[in-house]
Amino acid sequence: MSREKSSFVKWIQSGKVNKRLCIFTFMLFPMLLLIVFTYVPFAKMFQFSLYEMKYLGAREFVGLQNYLEVFSRDDCFQALKLSGYYIIASFVQLAIALWFASILSFKVRGGGVFKGLMFFPYLVCGIAVGFIFKFFYTRGFVLDTVLQWCGFNLDQLPYWLKDKSINNISIAATSVWRYMGQNMVLFIGAIMSVDDTLYEAAAIDGATGWDKFRYVIFPSIKTIVVLNMILAITGSLSVFEPPYVITGGSFGTGTYFVIMNELAHESQKVGLASAMAIVLLVLIFIATMIQKFIEAYFLGTGDKDSIRYRRRQKKIEQERKEAVLAQAKGGM
Amino acid sequence: MKKQAVKKLTAVTLAGTMVVSMTACGGSESSKGGAEKAKIDVTFDQINLGEDYTDLEADLKFLTHKTDVIDTTFQSYIEEFQKTYPGINIEYEGITDYAGDVTTRLSTGDWGDICMVPTTVDLDELENYFTSFGNYDTLSEQYRMLVGRMYNNKVYGIPSMGNVQGIVYNKKVFEEAGVKELPKTPDEFLDVLQQIKDKTDAIPLYTNFAADWTMNAWDAYIDGCATGQADFAHEGRVKGENPFADRGDQTGPYAVYNILYEAVSRGLIEDDPTTTDWEGSKGMLNNGEIGCMVLGSWSIVQMQQAGEHGDDIAYMPFPISVDGKQYASAAPDYCYGINCNSTEDEQIAAMVYIKWLVEESGFESDEGGISAKVDAPFPETLSAFDDVELLFDVPAPEGEETLDNDINNESELGINVSGAIPKEVLESALDGSMTMEEMSQEWNEAWTAAQEKYGVTH
Repeated sequence: MSREKSSFVKWIQSGKVNKRLCIFTFMLFPMLLLIVFTYVPFAKMFQFSLYEMKYLGAREFVGLQNYLEVFSRDDCFQALKLSGYYIIASFVQLAIALWFASILSFKVRGGGVFKGLMFFPYLVCGIAVGFIFKFFYTRGFVLDTVLQWCGFNLDQLPYWLKDKSINNISIAATSVWRYMGQNMVLFIGAIMSVDDTLYEAAAIDGATGWDKFRYVIFPSIKTIVVLNMILAITGSLSVFEPPYVITGGSFGTGTYFVIMNELAHESQKVGLASAMAIVLLVLIFIATMIQKFIEAYFLGTGDKDSIRYRRRQKKIEQERKEAVLAQAKGGM
Repeated sequence: MKKQAVKKLTAVTLAGTMVVSMTACGGSESSKGGAEKAKIDVTFDQINLGEDYTDLEADLKFLTHKTDVIDTTFQSYIEEFQKTYPGINIEYEGITDYAGDVTTRLSTGDWGDICMVPTTVDLDELENYFTSFGNYDTLSEQYRMLVGRMYNNKVYGIPSMGNVQGIVYNKKVFEEAGVKELPKTPDEFLDVLQQIKDKTDAIPLYTNFAADWTMNAWDAYIDGCATGQADFAHEGRVKGENPFADRGDQTGPYAVYNILYEAVSRGLIEDDPTTTDWEGSKGMLNNGEIGCMVLGSWSIVQMQQAGEHGDDIAYMPFPISVDGKQYASAAPDYCYGINCNSTEDEQIAAMVYIKWLVEESGFESDEGGISAKVDAPFPETLSAFDDVELLFDVPAPEGEETLDNDINNESELGINVSGAIPKEVLESALDGSMTMEEMSQEWNEAWTAAQEKYGVTH
């Protein structure tokens, strides 16, 4: 028995088994959490999307009926148009973040304080941000008061959340305020990792600030820029918190998610809402693929050069070969 | 060889545990069907408070939406209750987003013993979650407003109190505006609002649009208040043809929404509805900065307590007259329900506590509502309702208990659920994008399509 046991201990301690055991035990909990809290609910949601159902009560299998309804209703895709506001806002946000990052990654007086102050909004929970801005935009409150100091008349100012021509911009601005700092910190991290000697070399070559950004900083951090862009655009397609908390989706601010929430919780059309969620997932997937392709085509991923560049190189190479060939032929 | 065997063994054990845990997940669902649920024989009316079950021992968990009084009023109830029933302990859990959270928790079966039954549970589903309090026929001799939570003649919820539908207003503002008599028709009401705007600084009608649920409150007036028929919800609205059409005599659902539409388009509401503040609005009504708000009678006490001028707060019937007579719907607030998955002792103890709450706690008068007991007098705050006929909900016809919910959900009009109609009315009135006629036509179309889906034809 003891001999056997010791052989088991030996077996379990042997390199190959031990390694597998390590991998298995370390993976077990993350995988378990991922499966239980992500994939199982997702599979359930996909299942729900094929049923006509409420939260409680009987379900009826309807196949793809819910998906057809998502495409035939006019409010679902109408709501996606609002994402345009948030996509534009996210580009503004990235631009500002990049600008601050390129300034703050060099020695600036009070840089740490600025970084902290600009990162702070990201730490505030989204619901609280919503309430902050609800009061911020209230007639005669913070924003109006500040603008009045600047010489505006209250009568000239619009109703920030009531006026349908600007309320989506007002709300999109809140997410710029919230996420700009986070983007900036990511950019600073990337810029910090650029080799200092490159700046020196650039300085010796007489590069201006803009040149440094264009030819040193940007190429070095393009991966992180693209990553942030993907996150920003997928985020723009699935905006929920700001319009939900600030206006409740009224006055034409109901985004896709807000409509989905209304259908699921107020009209109890859980199947339809699940189908909407799946459709959005597919849309986000497509958007990401397009972005990935554009990135690969124009910028290149990682160490790889961009497809456009490689094609050009290939073409040049081929032309050179042809020329050599023609020359050789001519020589004969 | 041995290694192989051990490997196989681990693989089999792993697969085994996975299968077991999978079936365990699936199994819990079927057990909810309730073969082993404890059924109690006692009914609500049979319990004699202070005599029966005084030695019963149980620990109860009570889910409530009244988060503001858990540590104060409710603790004093428990103290008082335990003088007679020392063995029964009650622990309150307050839930802020009550209706939403509780619906999810109900489906687990293990949420506590007493809760306020959320309206999201369909009537035919009640028996799967709640214990019956007894037969409607016997209970209705002593209690009223039971039909809302009743199915197959069995009652699954006892109202914690009842609300009367009217308008909460500031007497002083009305006096300053020169209003001698309370308005009885939509036109008179709009004139009063105009007078308030012209003669005082107060906001005539505060919609509290941003709070969202406050818009939902408007839906409560379209049935009894607007038609004088207690069964309008089940007959005229659910089964009738084009219930939202303009009747031309300032009654019916159209008239209710039209009051809102006109008030908004004539500028008789707050300046910016998107940034209203519910908590602040209570104090403003109390101070006389607001003329009136369209809210159920439950709001009276909150408005009175919101400032120093509690005496100025009064309550009036909704300004619609049907053949010269005004009506007011009286409807139950949240109903107490008992978890049918609890043990027998817990269920009985829960029933005893609920009976005590309804009969002796004084909860409903603390909250300014009417009691669920048939013979209880009306509170003082409702003196303006002396000439008004109160309409209590009547049961839905047999076999049509879920029809209202079904059609309502299908049409996505969210009547009494989301306030979609009043919100649309306010938005359209503000920017003039749609007229009442156009909107009512849309509602009728959505409603008719939903009616057809559920087999209601005209």
